[in-house]
Amino acid sequence: MRTLVFIPAWNEEASIAEVIGDVRTYLPEADILVVDDGSVDATAARAREAGALVASLPFNQGLGAALQTGYLYALRNAYDACAHLDADGQHPAEEVVRLLAEVTADRADLVIGSRYHSGAVAESGDYRASFSRRIGISVFRFFLTLATRQRFTDTTSGMRAANRRVMDLFSRHYSPDFAEIESLQLAVRQGLRVEELPVRMLERAGGTSFLTPVRSAFFIFKGLVVLLVGQFRPREAEAKQ
Amino acid sequence: MRALALFAAEAEPQVHLTSQTRIVAAVIAIFFMLLILDLIRRDRLQERYSVIWFVAGLGMLAGAAFPGLLELVADAMGVRNTNVALFSIVLLLLLGLALNFSVIMSRQAAQITRLAQERAIERAGRQANGGTPNGDGSGSEQSLEPEKEGL
Repeated sequence: MRTLVFIPAWNEEASIAEVIGDVRTYLPEADILVVDDGSVDATAARAREAGALVASLPFNQGLGAALQTGYLYALRNAYDACAHLDADGQHPAEEVVRLLAEVTADRADLVIGSRYHSGAVAESGDYRASFSRRIGISVFRFFLTLATRQRFTDTTSGMRAANRRVMDLFSRHYSPDFAEIESLQLAVRQGLRVEELPVRMLERAGGTSFLTPVRSAFFIFKGLVVLLVGQFRPREAEAKQ
Repeated sequence: MRALALFAAEAEPQVHLTSQTRIVAAVIAIFFMLLILDLIRRDRLQERYSVIWFVAGLGMLAGAAFPGLLELVADAMGVRNTNVALFSIVLLLLLGLALNFSVIMSRQAAQITRLAQERAIERAGRQANGGTPNGDGSGSEQSLEPEKEGL
């Protein structure tokens, strides 16, 4: 069983080494790949020093393209399972182990770590969303649930584990603009087993959220358009049969 | 009264293109097509993207040479003024062209992304096999040749 853990990173030189160390502690067997999304700081160098493999995109392409790079690498190099987490130290590697266990036990094709799932235990220092964020979250939650007829609580989670079926799908189709939501919709539409697992997440180590009210509104609008269009995409499984 | 008004409207003459408009349009169309030829000749425009412009130029020339054609279209659109019909046609054509460019742009954006990903993966693969990755990750290596297809 070969496992790849990849970490999309854009200008995260401050936290990347710590995240790699964390992953290595809890997943000593896994290979670690940092997808450097055109960073202009020392992210790639720090990652190499920490002993991770580095795939550097020559220019910033956005989270979707970075994640797809990870899936593509996992697929090409014949990994059996892969997982990814954010580079800002928000995701404890301990929880990634639990996500991967679901995939290796073949209980699901794609497992998402959910911050808001009722089972998630809140501890001091744990993640709590701001008000405008919570509105966006519930809007997406509602529409994604409507679109997929499956209950999702955390639609924008950047912590996931996946098997080869998902690698194959995501390395071919992955929206560069609306990575998380559209990919969930796509996976469910293609008949993959998608599961949510409650996880503990930490407050962002540094930096602030990019969302202002206007941007949130635009973000939500764009997301709804993407979801609507996604409903009309052809299902591959049907086309093959 | 009503019938009379309708009759009056019917009798109102169609607005035709003047000879002057036709000459100006023909000259512009010819210059336009010459410009496109020159752009292709100097490798500034690829043939596969020039076809649509040639069609536009020929259409313009046809409209200038045979104004009856345009009036036929105007009639079909229910437009009394031929000039309005002309503007509408040009507007639709430009809309179509703009959409065409968005489609091309999207395709090229996807191609660029895949190219960048392939390169990143290749270098990570070299690192995994014990080699040193080329460069320092700043991505300032050789430029890539633009894809050239047959004529």
